[in-house]
Amino acid sequence: MKVLVIEDEKELSDSICAYLANEQFVCERTLDFDSSMEKILLYDYACIVLDVNLPGGSGLDILKELKNQNKTDGVLIISARNSLDDKVFALKTGADDYLTKPFHLPELAARVNAIIRRKSFDGKNEVICNELKLDLGEKNVMVNDNPVDLTKKEYELLLYFISNKNRVISKNAIAQHLWGDNMDVADSYDFIYTHIKNLRKKLILAGATDYIKSIYGMGYKFSI
Amino acid sequence: MKLFTKYSRINLLTTIIIFLLSATAFYFVIRYILINQVDNDLKIEEREIETYAKEHGTLPEPIPVKDQKISYALSDHDFKTRRFTTDHVEGEKDSFRILQFGITVKGNIYVATVAKSLEGTDALTRSILLISLATILLILATSLIVNRVVLKKLWQPFYSSLDALRNFRVDKKQSLNFPSTQIDEFTFMNQTIRKTTNQAQQEYSLLKEFTENASHEMQTPLAIIRSKLDLLIQDENLSEEQSKTMQSAYSAIEKLSRLNQSLLLLAKIENNQYADTTSINLKDKITEKLNAFHELWQNQNISVSSALQDARVNLNSELTDILLNNLLSNATRHNVSNGSINIILKETELEISNSSSEKELNSQQMFLRFFSQDKKRPYNGLGLPIIKQICDVSGLTIRYFFSNDQHKFTLSW
Repeated sequence: MKVLVIEDEKELSDSICAYLANEQFVCERTLDFDSSMEKILLYDYACIVLDVNLPGGSGLDILKELKNQNKTDGVLIISARNSLDDKVFALKTGADDYLTKPFHLPELAARVNAIIRRKSFDGKNEVICNELKLDLGEKNVMVNDNPVDLTKKEYELLLYFISNKNRVISKNAIAQHLWGDNMDVADSYDFIYTHIKNLRKKLILAGATDYIKSIYGMGYKFSI
Repeated sequence: MKLFTKYSRINLLTTIIIFLLSATAFYFVIRYILINQVDNDLKIEEREIETYAKEHGTLPEPIPVKDQKISYALSDHDFKTRRFTTDHVEGEKDSFRILQFGITVKGNIYVATVAKSLEGTDALTRSILLISLATILLILATSLIVNRVVLKKLWQPFYSSLDALRNFRVDKKQSLNFPSTQIDEFTFMNQTIRKTTNQAQQEYSLLKEFTENASHEMQTPLAIIRSKLDLLIQDENLSEEQSKTMQSAYSAIEKLSRLNQSLLLLAKIENNQYADTTSINLKDKITEKLNAFHELWQNQNISVSSALQDARVNLNSELTDILLNNLLSNATRHNVSNGSINIILKETELEISNSSSEKELNSQQMFLRFFSQDKKRPYNGLGLPIIKQICDVSGLTIRYFFSNDQHKFTLSW
């Protein structure tokens, strides 16, 4: 699957590509408006990560052009502007999701994964990872076809881990994912610890492998 | 004390002293002149008696006149001096001016006493005194009234300017309207005030712009640092020591981006970017938040009780979210395990209280930016200022109470 990263800040673009590129994704990138326009017209992408402020034009114009061409590429807007109006406008114009800078790369990966899943959903809306099966519509989890009773946060956490498998996710990124920007409780990592402990316990009890590893207290890794 | 009162007091005191002094002096001068007059009359009488005695060789028969009495007495010694006195005479209620002089008739020495009533003089001085007192009072009263009316009118521009200045807000884009005045001092004062306030407004908006721009400019480098850290921790060869270092860097970045977000939010609120309001059902909003925080509280064993009535308030939707998030986050962060949070929503009031091991907040300073009672806490000191700022722009009144280790915030509208 191909992902296009349109971001004029080269360092950030580097990071995004380095993080996304794995066995699943091929990452392409452009740094300005004109070359981005050219790329989107020539090729199809599973997902486009689109910055709003670009040299030579606005990312939103690229989005409009995509819609005019009836292209079905998923679009994730990344922007430094975080007001509701900007988000609503971008989503109305046809973006699939909106992420405010500065973001955590695992968050970006999770959003890109979610967009691609939604776009390529062929009848069954589920994520399968070895013995784990997540039903995205019902928001429930099965281990070897046995249902596991997870809380809302535990479910979100598991999906987040699966979207970032084999990657170390920092506690900060997890906190932000679970509670967002506004809930200013992310400093207290005890909350995350409890959630992860409970999630692991429930999965192991249901007969799943213990995929979640703690990495020196710095973060966690879902390794397969 | 009002300027006018102070001025009147000084004015009144000096006027009274001057009038009293001049009235006293006036009284004595008039009395002196009048008595001098009487004395001259008495001297004429003396001369008449002496002439009569010389011509007739006998003393004139005293004719009883109402305001004049003459009497003679034999003296055994030579009485040469002439003596004026003022005294009361038996049987008369008025005081008399008395002249005594010696007179020799046929070898006999007599002391003649001529007394003239001072009734007229006394009456005159009394009325003069009364008139001057009345004048003093009249002048004082008039000057008081005139001063009051005139001064009030004169100072009117001053009070108008003060009023305009009282309504002045450095964060509002309004120029001050002063009534025009012909008094140079006030014109000068108004000019100075206008210049100073304009300058303050200008500098304030520059500062605000700077904060917003600085925060915006910081977003990209922060995003880069964060993304680099996210990549760096993927390295499988990181040692435990390095991981700890990474964690510190993460926390610092987290703090910085949170701080940045808060500053940006404050700048935006001040810039009126959240001006549009809708009628918000607070009960629904709070229920939504209770669901969002539910697991967090469960993990910490915090018991939450809520009593929610319907309440509709005109607020900005985004700000309401931030406000409730901040209030509930505070109640959670500063709580103790097995603690409690109470939420009561009434028609015109929202009350959120929580248990805590922390001592009472300083209500004078709690809403100041970057004020923190406990410097060791990891919070950036902008949580309460943001709450306060949102309340201020939304027309909510926030109050803080502390009792029995319970911190309580009450919002009313």
